[in-house]
Amino acid sequence: MADDNAPPTLHSKRSLTLRFNIPISKTSRFWDALGEGKFVTTKCEDCGKVTFPPQADCPNCLGGNPKWVELGTEAELLTFTHVQITPTSFVDHDPYLVAIGRLKEGMNVLAWVEGADPAKLKPGAKLRIESRKDAEGGPYYVFVLPDRGPARL
Amino acid sequence: MRNVAIVGLGHSKFGRRTDVNVAELAFESIKGAIEDSGVEKKEIQNVTLGSAGGWYEETLPAVLVNEYAGFEDVGTMRVEAACASGSAAVRSAYLSVASGEAEVAMAVGVEKMTEVDTLTAVELMGRSGSYLWEFENYGMTFPAYYALYAASHMSRYGTTEEDMARVAVKAHHYASMNPLAQFQKEITLEKALSSQVVSWPLKLYDACPITDGSAAVVLAGEEAASRLTDTPIWIRGIGFSSDSANLSKRADYVGLRATVDASRKAYAAAKVGPKDVDVATCHDCFTIAELMAYEDLGFCAKGEGAKLLREGQTEVGGMIPVNLDGGLKAKGHPIGATGVSMMVEISKQLRGEAGGNRQASIKNGVGLVHNVGGTGHYCYVTVLSRSR
Repeated sequence: MADDNAPPTLHSKRSLTLRFNIPISKTSRFWDALGEGKFVTTKCEDCGKVTFPPQADCPNCLGGNPKWVELGTEAELLTFTHVQITPTSFVDHDPYLVAIGRLKEGMNVLAWVEGADPAKLKPGAKLRIESRKDAEGGPYYVFVLPDRGPARL
Repeated sequence: MRNVAIVGLGHSKFGRRTDVNVAELAFESIKGAIEDSGVEKKEIQNVTLGSAGGWYEETLPAVLVNEYAGFEDVGTMRVEAACASGSAAVRSAYLSVASGEAEVAMAVGVEKMTEVDTLTAVELMGRSGSYLWEFENYGMTFPAYYALYAASHMSRYGTTEEDMARVAVKAHHYASMNPLAQFQKEITLEKALSSQVVSWPLKLYDACPITDGSAAVVLAGEEAASRLTDTPIWIRGIGFSSDSANLSKRADYVGLRATVDASRKAYAAAKVGPKDVDVATCHDCFTIAELMAYEDLGFCAKGEGAKLLREGQTEVGGMIPVNLDGGLKAKGHPIGATGVSMMVEISKQLRGEAGGNRQASIKNGVGLVHNVGGTGHYCYVTVLSRSR
């Protein structure tokens, strides 16, 4: 890497690692439900607005009375990409497929697509949402192709 | 509101600038803009700095840059609108002069992106959206966000990877005539098409590089402008808008709603339409973004961006020449500097100073700057004109 003609730089002695504690108390129901295999989101008790991602405060009427409702797990693929150059914190991952799918309820979800052949994926493809646990036990959700067998959410 | 003109232009060499720190880099443009305008430094009443930051060591770049350039007692701030931070800085300085608060103000854009390793820069850009819902578990990247748009545009309108590669070929062609551009060499369609896939369908040559650079403009009210220059470039209208942080909340993935809305507002403010524009910079952070911009700005119908490009309408001699400075793709994209760099380019074009084979023919005296922040998260459209 060293370039003999490169201008001199001072490689700073101080390094900084940032790891955030992200508050999730207002949406913890979502993560808890996901851990139990359910896909839920918020619906405003005042105006009826359903929001995904879930949020406690209604962006439509500014009301603060969310009700948790279960969403269907069937989605239609709107668009996708195959990420081959991955960022620093995903550097050990194999390339991954990310899609945006539209739920029957009309909201869109962005998530990885598991087990699909990138060359065969197309807008309009049927997807299903399933829950997963990461290495630290934290729940997250992915899309799978529905022909991969019965739902595991 | 008073009329406001751009009366001074400064622009650093874009590229991997490991020879300068952030203040030294900004200084190159500040000095250039002051000298170009002929203004006394002490006449500049406030300085707004556009910089996204995070990839260089300083956290208060505005005051550091001002100290280095010897600005004392000036009002200042750093503004952030992601890749549109430069346009946001220009708007802030514009409002200061338009309101009568200042007679002369400066907007500076600067970014130092190469002090961290490439994948860390990729990570910081990938976090630009909704961190918790789209990055934490899914590792999105800036190319990945735009790839979602590219795949949808291809599927809906038949746009091809070759169409996108043509944007890159055009960008490199004009960058080869711009000594301040990061890339100085032309490329072939084959080279672009055979480059490494970054995030399908986008390849290396569909993506802007990681760039260090700065640009600056001096803005003046009518009185100072008439004293300082015979070629004022008037800011005729600014429109700005935004869209959802989460990409999942967008209605479709074939255009940027923020561009449509910002351009509608800018055209109305300037009392012009897309057909009146002689020359434009479009925000081509990725090749697909330039094609969508043609459509969203009204240069062609939705879905016909690739056709407009294939017909040569966005080259010199065409209906609406775009990115004759090489664009973000080949001039480089130092995030916070880009919007100001676009103002410099369009001002040069309207002054007739672009030079050589990259000067557009100016008929109506109207130019347009289209500057997007993030993945259509922010959009600023600024209409510049030779006449008030």
